[in-house]
Amino acid sequence: MKFSEVDVAVIGSGPAGMAAAIKAKEEGAEHVLILERQEQLGGLLHQCVHNGFGLLYFGQDLTGPEYACRFVEKVRDLGIEVLLETMVTQISGDRKLTAINSHEGPIHLQPKSIVLAMGCRERSRGQLSIPGTRPAGIFTAGTAQRLVNVEGFIPGKKVVILGSGDIGMIMARRLSLEGVEVKGVIEILPYVGGLIRNEAQCLHDFDIPLLLEHTVTQIHGEQRVEAVTIAKVDKNKRPVDGTEQNIECDTLLLSVGLIPENELSRLAGVDLDPLAGGPVVDERRETNIPGIFAGGNVVHVHDFVDNVSWEAEIAGTWAARLSQKGDFEKKEKITLKPGRNIRSIVPQTISGQNDVTFYIRVKEMEEKVRLKVGDIYHRAFRVVKPSEMIKVDLLQKELNLLKGNSSELVVECEKGE
Amino acid sequence: MTQMDTEVLIIGGGVLGAVVARELSRYKVDVILVEKEADFGWGSTKTNMCIVCQGGDTLEFRPEYHRSKLVWDSIPLMEPLCQELDVPFKRVGELALIRNNEELGKFRKLKSKAEKLGLVGHQFIDQDTLRQMEPNVTREAIGALYDPNIAIADPVRLTIALIENAGQNGVQVMRETEVLNIFQKGNQFEVETNRGSIKCRFIVNAAGTSVDKIARLVNSDDFVLYPIRGYVGILDKDLGNLIKHEIHMRPDAPGQMNILTPSVHGNLFFGTTMQPARRGDYSTTRRIAQIGLQNVRKIIPDLSEKDIIHSFAGYLMFRNWEVGWHESVVQASRKVSRFISICIGYPGVSAAPATGREVAELLRREGLRLEANPRFSPFRKASPIFNQLSEKQQKELIAQDSRYGHVVCRCETVTEGEIVEAVRRGATTLDGVKFRTRAGMGRCQGGFCTLRVAKILGRELVLPEEKITKKGAESRILLYKAKELLGGEL
Amino acid sequence: MIEEKIICIGCPLGCETTLKIDDQRKVIKITGYKCKEGRQFVLEEYRSPVRVLTATVLTQNSARPLFPVRTNRPLLKTQLKEAAKALIGVKVKPPIRVGQIILPNIMNTGVDVIATDDLIS
Repeated sequence: MKFSEVDVAVIGSGPAGMAAAIKAKEEGAEHVLILERQEQLGGLLHQCVHNGFGLLYFGQDLTGPEYACRFVEKVRDLGIEVLLETMVTQISGDRKLTAINSHEGPIHLQPKSIVLAMGCRERSRGQLSIPGTRPAGIFTAGTAQRLVNVEGFIPGKKVVILGSGDIGMIMARRLSLEGVEVKGVIEILPYVGGLIRNEAQCLHDFDIPLLLEHTVTQIHGEQRVEAVTIAKVDKNKRPVDGTEQNIECDTLLLSVGLIPENELSRLAGVDLDPLAGGPVVDERRETNIPGIFAGGNVVHVHDFVDNVSWEAEIAGTWAARLSQKGDFEKKEKITLKPGRNIRSIVPQTISGQNDVTFYIRVKEMEEKVRLKVGDIYHRAFRVVKPSEMIKVDLLQKELNLLKGNSSELVVECEKGE
Repeated sequence: MTQMDTEVLIIGGGVLGAVVARELSRYKVDVILVEKEADFGWGSTKTNMCIVCQGGDTLEFRPEYHRSKLVWDSIPLMEPLCQELDVPFKRVGELALIRNNEELGKFRKLKSKAEKLGLVGHQFIDQDTLRQMEPNVTREAIGALYDPNIAIADPVRLTIALIENAGQNGVQVMRETEVLNIFQKGNQFEVETNRGSIKCRFIVNAAGTSVDKIARLVNSDDFVLYPIRGYVGILDKDLGNLIKHEIHMRPDAPGQMNILTPSVHGNLFFGTTMQPARRGDYSTTRRIAQIGLQNVRKIIPDLSEKDIIHSFAGYLMFRNWEVGWHESVVQASRKVSRFISICIGYPGVSAAPATGREVAELLRREGLRLEANPRFSPFRKASPIFNQLSEKQQKELIAQDSRYGHVVCRCETVTEGEIVEAVRRGATTLDGVKFRTRAGMGRCQGGFCTLRVAKILGRELVLPEEKITKKGAESRILLYKAKELLGGEL
Repeated sequence: MIEEKIICIGCPLGCETTLKIDDQRKVIKITGYKCKEGRQFVLEEYRSPVRVLTATVLTQNSARPLFPVRTNRPLLKTQLKEAAKALIGVKVKPPIRVGQIILPNIMNTGVDVIATDDLIS
């Protein structure tokens, strides 16, 4: 394939990238190219040796690598071109893409459409400004996961995990099974940051102490981590003086947040939604730049990989259609506005002419609320949690109920059932 | 145990030890430099805020003090030095913000003093001009004192370049070598290190935070030093365009400074607080971090904690803390011949070029014969910085070594070729690679690249990955292999 | 009569269920589940909790140091740690196809350990 003939270029080959590429090909795009910076397809799926993947998408309980295999096989069967160990370094507003690898050197493309599927990165210690020294032995949970599940190393034998996000809890279990003493999972909120099921099967099952409403206030050790100080926090998440205790450990894992990786999006001039973390997209997952689409964790952090793939398929579908049609008619846009206790809504804009599925995240845990989308939809919830994404399906005919020429739709959590 | 012999032993491979080494390499003098860490500039140098100032900063301007004189003399020397050594130097200019008439009065005095001493270029700029120059700066500033000559540099790269150039010109350099004891035998010193003993005639004690400790080994205690701890925060590169000049504000409390500056790499640095600290305590504290953030928000109100990607403690050794930080130590010992101690505190990097020359002169007075080295070359070429090359140059580089096409650090676009080159030039640790290439300094702070860099280090140094350290000594990153803790066989 | 709370881990929803149990340790009532599979899961979880083991094994003659595996059926929860230890000595060689049996009948449970990825080289 000549690089000058790419119809759809997909950046990233995780559960989003592969799904988008496959869908694009199935929708009739001839030349689909995946650009992946790692040595193999699959993104982070390879390091997720645990199960819980594909329950919805495949109706089976698969591990990360198994989930990846299904897609990799399809990518091969469909003849989708793949460039591995290739880093995209630049995207311009008119879809000019520069990438680089050892074989070709700098590569220049101008695909008819691009799907951004770069996933996310993890929040680092530096961003938390945890006071103390800067020794070896501090890892983000995802990096530790790669170490333990792919590279063949165990970071330490006495580990403290800050943050009860899913990755942190999964690693608590994984490390325990590898003979590590996991001294505790420290969580600043009064509830667990990831799925309840992970609290059960990772922490309870292995008798790993969970300290809610606590945080790490200091790291000790000049060369290697020697201990951390933890303290209880008040309602404003500030450490309470006098509640400090030291925990001896040689490793600190951080599972304190995922951030959509949008450096390339920024370079291209794509508008980002500071609430969701990724590009502002419409129901076709097209960004403000015609021909640049996005799907998966790069748009907003998902709970379930199944939704990541489904969302990316939307992006792949329309990226393929655009590459064949040339352009979509730009309809009037309706903007979604986050109201009470709503953190983010994806897609952020819709045309109102198609069925749409909204993915919503709330700001805080709340019990007995009614989720409302304007006046056209409402649903009661016993409890809503920031760690659990809410899906709302709206049919086009329901959107037709929007009164007048409203260009704004407010999504909010109303108190009471 | 090895025995070595030389004329001049330099203890310490920070910016000052390095500049002395390079200066002495102009002459036919046998020099050994020993550094206790795994790489250069890892003491106070690496916590420096990278500003090449002119001594005329808003706090003091007293050339009658030795420290200020060294900075003054260094002014014409720094840019040519950075050019010779192929290290970054950028003249960004400085804006000292003025918030009220009292501050204006103080700056007026400062300006006229500077002019009397021949330092020209300071201008007062009014509020409108300030807005144009720096639209994001606080509205509380009614104007500023502008000094177009202030520049920024990279202190660790400068230090490494000085060491490389010194090495090219004959200086022997040893890392992970710590001085344990010094004996005086006639007109020689016998210096005991963890790697053997070194006989020498002259000693330049540039041991940074251990300068006084080393001096005491020869009972030379003509000065007292106090550890001072500061706080430096680095902001996300996204915000790199918030300001163009180095900006500072007069501190609102004693013992604080308040600086926000661009770095040569595109981030913004902010620095604050200068407090006495416990020796060897290089930790940051929550209180200091809060003060730091509060202070920098006085300059740019919109900044918040989540804009910080990394922070660390700056630490310096100051002299005569009680009377202010005017003085430095650049002196031959009064008690022991041929023993020179140097410790500048702040601003060590800015004063370095002239300090190198001064120490050479001090050594000459102590009896060192300085005969010009005809083979001395002042030029040193940096290793290629891939993301700064033109595409044509990138292609050529990849054709020579395809590893330059393999990007390892995504955030800073650092290639495997550059990392391999850094190892070839002396990096043996993750931090060594980091300071030389920037791999790991981006917004993900090594999340993606750390393991890959460790692999490359292992491969290039022919070491198993478990032996790779973050910063030498006991800072291994990977403590165990898979199954090892379950009792598995390796 | 006692009440026991069990989180159903049958699917990622993680419904919090409550079981009412009589003095003979018989389950009288279950509330809080959202599907019949969940109800069944929770019942079995109370009687005999089981878990799928997912882990890695070492490799031989491969560029990859580790290889991911899982049990094809759940083991008893109490057997997990021992099962992890049973995998210490297992070394796999390419080529392997996803689903291939790596260690049959682990600890005589009738459960096989299978590959969850391809190992090409």
